[in-house]
Amino acid sequence: MASTSDPTPAAEPDFAAFDALVDALGRWAPTGPAWAPARRVKNEWEGVAARLDKVRRELSRVLVVGVVGGTGTGKSTLVNALAGGEVTAAGDVARPTTVNPIVVAARDVDLSWLPLDAMQARVVRSESPAVANIVLVDCPDPDTQSLPGAAAGEPGRPSDANRNRDLLEAVLPACDVLLLVATAQKYRSWIVAREVAAFAPGRPLLFVQTHASRDPDIRGDWRRELESQGFDVPRIFRLDGVEAAARAAAALEPEPGFAELVRAIDGELVGRAARRVRRTGAVDLAAWFTRQSLSGLDGFTEPLAALAAGITTERSRLEAILARSIGEKLRANRSAWQRLIGDDVVARWHGGPFAAFLHVIAALGSLWSRVRPGGGLVGRLLAGQAVSVAARDGGWPAIEELGLAAGEVEQSRSVLSGLASRAGLEHPLVGRARLDAAAATAATASVVDRAGHWLGEGIDRLVAERRSRIGRPLVHWTFEALFLALLVTVLVRAGWNFFHGNLWEGKPVSGIGFLEEALVWVILWGFALRWAIFALVRLGLDRDIQSLVAGLASSRLVDPLIADFTDARVAATEWLDEGGLLRIEADRLAAACGEAPGLGRLRRPST
Amino acid sequence: MVFEVTSATSPPAFAAWAGNVAALCDAVERLQPLAATLGTGDPQLGGWHGALFGKLRPQVAREPLLVAAVCGGTNTGKSLITNTLVGAVISRSVPEAARTLHPVASFARGVAERIDLAALFPGFRPVPWRSDEDALDHASADVLVWREDPGGTQPARLVVLDTPDIDGTLRENWHRAELVRNAADVIVAVLTQQKYNDAAVRDFFAAAAAAGKTVIVVFNMVDWPRQRERIAGWLATFAAETGVMAPAVYVAPHDFAAAEAGRIALHPVPELTRDHAELGLAERLATADFDRIKRHAMEGALRVVVDPAHGLPAWLDGIDQAAAGWRDSQRLLEREGRVQVELPPPPRQIVWDEVWSWLEPRRSGVDLFVSAGYRAMGRGISWAAHRLGVGRTAAERQEDFAHAELEALKRALADFIDRLDDACRRDARLASRLGPKLASADRAAWYADLERRHAALPLVSEDYRTFVRLELDRFAAANPGMVKALLAGLTVGSVARPVMTLALFGAGAAAVPAAAGVLHHVLDFGVTVAAPLAGEGAVAVAATGSKPLIERLFAGWSAERSRILAETLHDVVLGDGVEEIGRLAASGSRPELARARQLLVECSRECG
Repeated sequence: MASTSDPTPAAEPDFAAFDALVDALGRWAPTGPAWAPARRVKNEWEGVAARLDKVRRELSRVLVVGVVGGTGTGKSTLVNALAGGEVTAAGDVARPTTVNPIVVAARDVDLSWLPLDAMQARVVRSESPAVANIVLVDCPDPDTQSLPGAAAGEPGRPSDANRNRDLLEAVLPACDVLLLVATAQKYRSWIVAREVAAFAPGRPLLFVQTHASRDPDIRGDWRRELESQGFDVPRIFRLDGVEAAARAAAALEPEPGFAELVRAIDGELVGRAARRVRRTGAVDLAAWFTRQSLSGLDGFTEPLAALAAGITTERSRLEAILARSIGEKLRANRSAWQRLIGDDVVARWHGGPFAAFLHVIAALGSLWSRVRPGGGLVGRLLAGQAVSVAARDGGWPAIEELGLAAGEVEQSRSVLSGLASRAGLEHPLVGRARLDAAAATAATASVVDRAGHWLGEGIDRLVAERRSRIGRPLVHWTFEALFLALLVTVLVRAGWNFFHGNLWEGKPVSGIGFLEEALVWVILWGFALRWAIFALVRLGLDRDIQSLVAGLASSRLVDPLIADFTDARVAATEWLDEGGLLRIEADRLAAACGEAPGLGRLRRPST
Repeated sequence: MVFEVTSATSPPAFAAWAGNVAALCDAVERLQPLAATLGTGDPQLGGWHGALFGKLRPQVAREPLLVAAVCGGTNTGKSLITNTLVGAVISRSVPEAARTLHPVASFARGVAERIDLAALFPGFRPVPWRSDEDALDHASADVLVWREDPGGTQPARLVVLDTPDIDGTLRENWHRAELVRNAADVIVAVLTQQKYNDAAVRDFFAAAAAAGKTVIVVFNMVDWPRQRERIAGWLATFAAETGVMAPAVYVAPHDFAAAEAGRIALHPVPELTRDHAELGLAERLATADFDRIKRHAMEGALRVVVDPAHGLPAWLDGIDQAAAGWRDSQRLLEREGRVQVELPPPPRQIVWDEVWSWLEPRRSGVDLFVSAGYRAMGRGISWAAHRLGVGRTAAERQEDFAHAELEALKRALADFIDRLDDACRRDARLASRLGPKLASADRAAWYADLERRHAALPLVSEDYRTFVRLELDRFAAANPGMVKALLAGLTVGSVARPVMTLALFGAGAAAVPAAAGVLHHVLDFGVTVAAPLAGEGAVAVAATGSKPLIERLFAGWSAERSRILAETLHDVVLGDGVEEIGRLAASGSRPELARARQLLVECSRECG
């Protein structure tokens, strides 16, 4: 066994980084979303935070070393040997021997910070150099109190009053270091292993095999057992407590195993080393906390990813329904497009007989359009009306009119609520498939508002582009020329008839009849040209509408309908990711702490 | 030493119990799957299960062997004491703790071939002994190593076993030790001053004492004779804690060298022994009154089984309670699992056309001619209206209807799933049955299934035609002047808008108060999800006979439409979960329960 007389000092933990980590954990752990896993982490954190905080406040006080192990393993005998006298009853008369914990401390050590009442402990002062700079606690055993869940036996057994394990669980939180005592009979005790595992995170350990003079050396097998439970085991001391106590009482040279233990306590638990032990313990505890809390969260990564994929799928599905319906409505309103694009262009055409003709037609047509009811949002937009949406305009009819039925939305929400519940996201983070009236009103109003803006802008863009194409002077004057051509032809023909036919050749004047006939032709020609203009307006309109509708996805129209799922997923994922970063940082710090040569640490969960 | 059965002691009359024990085992085995689905505790955790299946069943009708097992905590020297007892190294003793992983049994010569070892030690696979390393083998699970006594001195009816530990970190060892304990008549309890009052040790031996086993105590690693006076105190504590009344106590002194060499001495402690005899342990076992011990152990086992508080009756009560709990859950599901489907108003001609085609052969020629003329005219008007953009064609109207109908069905499905989620949140039992399906299934597939069924359902199915014909036939038989009534009825019925109620359980589905008082012409009919019907019954509505004919015809049509939702719910969403819940709720009245209780009464009479 390596000598501890000159232990290589282990690397000091990076204090600033540790403080930053604890602060970051303090921000992260209690502020998760209202998500069951996050609540669990928050609860776990409350216990850990108190311990980490205590380490920061009590960095320089002496270490409390709890002597733990099964009944009959010689805890009290060892405590007596270390204290240099009979401070606690030891022996073979009755099991368990120690009921109330015994706290052994040097005379000048202030113990006011120890919760002695909660521990039901008795304090004994000792002059022994071995306990001059530590506080030693002789703990009750964990293995004589009846096992939890064991079938109740006959009532009235003496052990019914045994509360040793409960007492132990009240004492261990006050301990900074555990001194685990075992014998050949007890080193594989299940109940001791369970209790130690519960309190070992963040508490360095010393391992001691007692009864050395009677039992075979089981350190090799014990080390394997401890390592399988997740401990780092740098060394195990082996000594005989009875002999050590006898030699101490007789002021003889201590036996070598005992002397080694005393040296290890002096070298690794006292003075500067105590600070380091406490810091290392705290870093270990922080690392343990992040590891445990996040390994409990690992199972949620996949469901959250599935939820994200589900959100994308359902959003696309709803958008496709909306796009199809809006596209149909836009295409179906041909006359509205004509009016919107053509009428405006025509309204700006001035000078010229064709323009005058169109103005007359438009004036007549507007009478007609005024008596037509507006056709929903699309109709209103195409009628050139500004669409402003107030919250009260929401409700299912508002978006059903756009072509998105409540049933489709509820289908998507129902699918997503299944995925969300698999990820542990439940009410109130996410709502039900069927939105309640207020939520439905707000969400649908928001959809209508978004749709109104997006569609309004799209239509304006499309209209402006087409207007600029048709509204060019060349187009105007071409049509004017074509219209004028017929007018001119009529006038020339009338002139010819009058001047050439009547005056020159003396034929009778054909009268007003020709002009009436000509007027009909002019009007028909005017309508034909007007139709040509509208044909120009419609040329490629379907394609443009399609490309307008294709842009629907980027405008996030349906997001408000499933916003609760999106928000909850984002919150949970971000919180998990942040925790992942903290885990890496905590592991880095714990790894950087290095090994104290004689102290064990719980590093991994049991295999 | 050869053991002879004296003719004076009558062999235990266990055979009389055999019938009841076998029947009881059979009833319990039949109930076990039910208990598992009901969520009552694992019966194997109860001591009665071990007593019944590990002791009574294997031993009640077989050769009455006396099974003696050496039990104790880790590293207390069980293997060493077994070897000493048998007089040969059958199980190697090693310094490391918890290394004996498998029980090792030693039989007298010729016994092992004669008996069914697997039946004697349920839960174990018997393998013949090859070396003293067998018991330390990590590779095989639940093995029982057996060998014949090499010395030939073991009594013919005695079986001695070394067992794994009862307190170590390998919990499988505990379980194996418990199986051996259940089968044993005599337990040699190996205690040490470190372990005699450990909770795990106490619990183990308390169960042995409760089951009427004879427990002989060996204190090992005693600082002998220095600690001799301590022994009485330790034993008193052990007896008070476990109820063990040891007929004999032995002490093995702590002697490391002797232990290493496999030789330890077992000193009798006559002052703590009932008969004060200084008899060696092997000799005491060999000369014991096997029949009395055996009877005691068998009666003890039976007592454990019939114990009202912890035995089989308690387990049966647990099943009853769980069944009652399931009945509550079923009621909750009955209340919650009920949605109203607000279908769009059905296209009038759907029902009209069916009635028309039924009427066709029953009408006069003139009437037919006139109505054909009207119909042609009606078609012309519809066509013209459509061309003008005022009306929609029949096909378009049907498409509109199909859309609206599918949407209504989807809303109802979403509502249903919401309600099931709520019910699962409120009731852990429902969550255990329906929760996994609700949480893990791809819900999008449910809706896809509904869409598929909806697309596949013709607007008027053969089932519906049959239904209409039957209804009209019945109506015609009861009402001679029916045609007039029908024509009048159709005009009114066409505006009816049925609300279908889908319920998970049939009972009371039709008893839902119809909303008719509030909404004019709204009908409420029940459709049950749990039992899918085909053919004639598929269209039948729950409110049979209580509604006017035309309303019934429309309702029948709507019921058929809603049925596709019921089918999706049943086939895809819930699976057989609802029937399963119904079965569990009804499980309190299973005949096996009554049978088991009756057998228990008979067994109780037998053990007094």
